[in-house]
Amino acid sequence: MLLLFATASTFGVCGPAYSAQSDSQIRQAESSTIVFFVVFAMLTLLISFWAARRATNSSEYLTAGSSISSGQNGLAIAGDYMSAGAFLGLSGAIYASGLDGMFLAASYLASWPIVLFLVAEPLRRLGKYSFADVLTHKLRERPIRILAGASTLVIVSFYLVAQMVGAGELISLLFGIGYGPSVIMVGLLMIVFSTLGGMRAATWVQIIKAILMIGGSVMIAALVLARFGFNVSDLLKTAATNHPNGNKIMDIRGFAQDAVATLSLGVGILFGTAGLPHILMRFFTVSDERAARVSVFYATCLIGLFFAILFVIGYGSIAILRGDATYASASGALFGGNNLAPIHLARAVGGSILAGFISAVAFATILAVVSGLLIAGASSAANDLVVGLSGRQLDERMRLRISRIAAMALGVLGILLGLACEGQNVAYLLALATAIAASANFPLLLLAIYWDGLTTRGAVVGGTFGLISSVVLTAMGPTIWSKVLGLGPAIFPYDSPALFTVPLTLFVCWLVSIATAEAEKDWRLTQPSVGQYVE
Amino acid sequence: MHKATEDVPLRATANRSGALRFQLVLAMIIPYLAMMAFLIHSARHATQTAIVASDFSPAMIALASCMVFSVVLTGLFVFVRHGD
Repeated sequence: MLLLFATASTFGVCGPAYSAQSDSQIRQAESSTIVFFVVFAMLTLLISFWAARRATNSSEYLTAGSSISSGQNGLAIAGDYMSAGAFLGLSGAIYASGLDGMFLAASYLASWPIVLFLVAEPLRRLGKYSFADVLTHKLRERPIRILAGASTLVIVSFYLVAQMVGAGELISLLFGIGYGPSVIMVGLLMIVFSTLGGMRAATWVQIIKAILMIGGSVMIAALVLARFGFNVSDLLKTAATNHPNGNKIMDIRGFAQDAVATLSLGVGILFGTAGLPHILMRFFTVSDERAARVSVFYATCLIGLFFAILFVIGYGSIAILRGDATYASASGALFGGNNLAPIHLARAVGGSILAGFISAVAFATILAVVSGLLIAGASSAANDLVVGLSGRQLDERMRLRISRIAAMALGVLGILLGLACEGQNVAYLLALATAIAASANFPLLLLAIYWDGLTTRGAVVGGTFGLISSVVLTAMGPTIWSKVLGLGPAIFPYDSPALFTVPLTLFVCWLVSIATAEAEKDWRLTQPSVGQYVE
Repeated sequence: MHKATEDVPLRATANRSGALRFQLVLAMIIPYLAMMAFLIHSARHATQTAIVASDFSPAMIALASCMVFSVVLTGLFVFVRHGD
């Protein structure tokens, strides 16, 4: 999942400083990177063509026919989290300021038990294509599907733009081409890949990428530790000596400034994961609830392992790269931006081959994540928005056609928005996507599964409130209001509004449901309790 | 997706399993919040020489504990559910 705030804030500082390296080094790095890139691009296209031959119906295209095993799904979920944002962004955040990056990692890991306990199994049991299937089990279909479709497409769009901007800047840096061509290249590959292969192709690319990412990261971490005689104490002491903040890098710094802001961010992450459409889609790819919960366990183990490796890579980059004129300026800023810390570190400890391999894995990561997003958006467009707006169910052929057209349209939209948002700090887009997922989707899912009193009007009013309030409050926060728009002091003091919008959305859902319970009584008496499906 | 058509009485609370799930969520959230509070406290009251003698700072240990707890809690839940 390319959803780490640390990522985006530093993507923006990538720039021409990369050229400060010697020409020979750049050429050497580029040639190995390009070789791996071409191999990976060919591999992903082969996978998509293979998967396309099987994707003859919407179930196969959108959910891989629910035939993915728990181990494969666990790897694919972990692959979503081992994104370029996590790998580059967290390492870069540790390089810049120490433990702050690991706080984000711990928060994301802590969100997975909540996904498992509350939504994974009911979602698998009641859903088929989107989380709205769970809601419509006992609520009126049309308004709920329109709302779910709208919130899903909003979240996916914000996510997609953030990915495209990040991808454009990263690819242009790694391959020495312009931002525009980078966005178009990634976008076209993404469209071909998603439109043809669907969920099966996206899943297999995530699996392969997760294995390569873990393998590459373990190799870098082992080589880093070998430099210090496998003595972590020496590694940390060297890092503290090299960093201008000294021992303070062993504590969080930025997140200690404002406890309420940190708490709000934490709430957004904890509950946001359980409302992210492309994460929820993963539970439809396995056969039953048992496979769903086992896949979460596998994913949690792998994500935990990955974050532990990032700890070594992050502090290793401080210990090895800081003060080395080949990779960093006198001020400590890495050439090409702090996000390139693991790439530089790979080159420092493993040479250009390892650096090229890791760069290409980062590219594959972007491709896999954006493809998953497109499929989640396409599924919601076909099964929620079109069904909700038209008021009739789609036949199999039509659903597949609309899904593919929606994937293509979202891909084109992603390219256009990515080109338009060049140079933007994408942190707020990611923050917004998480906040919307936590504020609009998660409360509805939670109440629909565990509270029989939820009415259709309660869900629609509450969900709309969560959607709008999270968008508006994020827009009035310090990042957008002050930094992006330059409108002076922020009206709302926190970047993530989840601490306020999540409980408020729950309250609005409850209040409106209580008020409209009598009006919907007859309808609800004929509907099943979703809670009876929770074991 | 199937839809049952039989009448089901409305209920105001989730079933027993649902209550257990919420207790488990609390069991995850409370240590997470405690970890967050500890990190903020230790960052605001850190001394420059506090960690030089040890491999890991208290904040690192708190973070690692929270991460391990997440994995262990997930594993326990899956293990217990398989025994059902």
